[in-house]
Amino acid sequence: MVERCLLKLAATLLCAAALADARATEWDASLDMRLVAADAPTSFADGGLGVVRYGDDRNGLQLGRARLALSQELGDLLTFKLDASAWGQHDKNPVDLTEAYLQLHPYPWGDWRMRVKVGAFYAPVSLENRAAGWESPYTLSSSAMDSWVAQELRTLGAEFKLEWLGTHSGHDFDIGAAFGVYGWDEGAGTALTRSGFTITDSQGTLFGRVGRPTGVMPPVNEYHQFDNRAGTYLGLDIHYLDRVTLEALHYDNHADPAAEDVVSGDYGWQTHFDTVGLRAETDAGWTAIIQWMAGVTAVEPEDFGLLRWDFATRYVLLSRRSGRNTLSARYEDFTIRARQAFALGDQGGHAVTLAYRFEPDARWRFTLEWVRARGFQANRAIASGEPPFATMSDVQLAIRYAVSNH
Amino acid sequence: MQHTQGIPSGKCREMAARVAMILLSLCICGAASAELRIRVTQANGKPLPGAVVTVHALDPAVPAAAPIKAVMDQIDLAFAPDVLVIPAGSTVSFPNSDKVGHEVYSFSSAHPFKLGLYRGTPRDPQLFDRPGLVTLGCNIHDAMLAYILVTDAAYYGFTAADGTWTQPELPRGKYRIEVWSPRLQEPGQLLQREVVVTGEHVAAEIRSDHALRPPQLQKRPHSWDAY
Repeated sequence: MVERCLLKLAATLLCAAALADARATEWDASLDMRLVAADAPTSFADGGLGVVRYGDDRNGLQLGRARLALSQELGDLLTFKLDASAWGQHDKNPVDLTEAYLQLHPYPWGDWRMRVKVGAFYAPVSLENRAAGWESPYTLSSSAMDSWVAQELRTLGAEFKLEWLGTHSGHDFDIGAAFGVYGWDEGAGTALTRSGFTITDSQGTLFGRVGRPTGVMPPVNEYHQFDNRAGTYLGLDIHYLDRVTLEALHYDNHADPAAEDVVSGDYGWQTHFDTVGLRAETDAGWTAIIQWMAGVTAVEPEDFGLLRWDFATRYVLLSRRSGRNTLSARYEDFTIRARQAFALGDQGGHAVTLAYRFEPDARWRFTLEWVRARGFQANRAIASGEPPFATMSDVQLAIRYAVSNH
Repeated sequence: MQHTQGIPSGKCREMAARVAMILLSLCICGAASAELRIRVTQANGKPLPGAVVTVHALDPAVPAAAPIKAVMDQIDLAFAPDVLVIPAGSTVSFPNSDKVGHEVYSFSSAHPFKLGLYRGTPRDPQLFDRPGLVTLGCNIHDAMLAYILVTDAAYYGFTAADGTWTQPELPRGKYRIEVWSPRLQEPGQLLQREVVVTGEHVAAEIRSDHALRPPQLQKRPHSWDAY
């Protein structure tokens, strides 16, 4: 029902946009192919419990991402944005949307400005995924926290943002506060307790699900509404000129953990977390990011009582851009702790990512990345009888070709 | 024999009078005008290039500089130039040389305006008839930031790479020199100093007491700021 409504909305908006002014449509298309050499079990994305995007059953040539993005101006103050991708690993829809929303951007009044987004889009969580398509300009794979956000969280609702543009009036700072209200997010936390934190650049889609039905772990259905509760988030961002960004966000989906969807059998996962991060950049091309996230997800299935997992992750990233070359390194750790007697969902580990990127022009991009993740995951022993401790690594050579009309 | 080289005595007196007039006029001109050389430095003594220098005549009155027609372009998601100084009464056109649309605006009291979403060159240039600082932005691309300084000064310009700016000829008298840069930390991002121009060459150094703000980052690709 919701899917049909969203599809109709997207189709209607696209038609309206096309009729409004064909010249004002901006589009971007890209194809990202990967040469993969993995030393890891079957990936979570293929229904296994590997925490990296590709297991060794995917060694060889893979589709990293095929992307088409549209941005349609609807008059001076309204823009419609649509982002569609194929990832080569999602079983439900070969091509699906990652974002589709309307943005209202009225002119500032004095030093103040307001922004409103309505539709499906990312909450302001990430400091690294700042590039088009919610990609990182530093690495191929996102950090564990952003990989989880990409898999399970999408704002299906509205965001209101108020900003004070101090730098436009001679001050050193800009400050923004965002408030989001959304629904269809009762599933947030499901993938976290089944697959744990992962290190990937693939993103959950609006009409898709996480994982494949292999029998080891069932796939996770995302984005459905059955408890009639709205989730909220409140974010704050402070910018010192264009050098330093401080971000903080409190996110709570307010789901009813006892609610059960009679159609899918899914329960509501009550998930809330806080995150704080800092990004600093210099003239010499250095970028440093440090970010922390901690939260709780809980569910209360009939006959089990309240089941609760505490989760936390943090990372530090250092990157240097010199001309057309970018060299980046990231270290992170992550934990999930079950608060009940049985250890299902427990995870603890750390990961190192090294990436070198060469961008000869706006069309071509070459990236060589090595990810190594090490840690334990109780589900590996519980669900598939594998040792809970494991070291996994992915080496990817990515070649991306992009075109656009702007 | 009283005539030298065959020049009649009447013509000789006439020529002498002309030479005297020319010399006198040269003396008068030399006494009334001078060269002003300003050097703007940072707190650490290094030169400050690209700062706007305006020279306001206090005594005697010197008319404000004549209005001009200026251009503030938009190239590669940035304003070009990032700082423009124009006399009051000047017009500025805002061509968009990018393929994407821009929405140029300013909410500065000296000249609030909105151009709306456009590509190419908007039809009418904007008239800036009030002195003051006009901060420009684009309502779509947040990183776009530029300044137009509208001045009623008699003389204006930018400091060179060595921090200097020279006005080759201005009448002797009293002047207020103002230096503005978006990188200055002083109130109003402004340095001021009065000078009395008496000799033929006057040099003045104006120094900031605070460390400069960092300049806008140049090396970051625009595609990095999609979120």
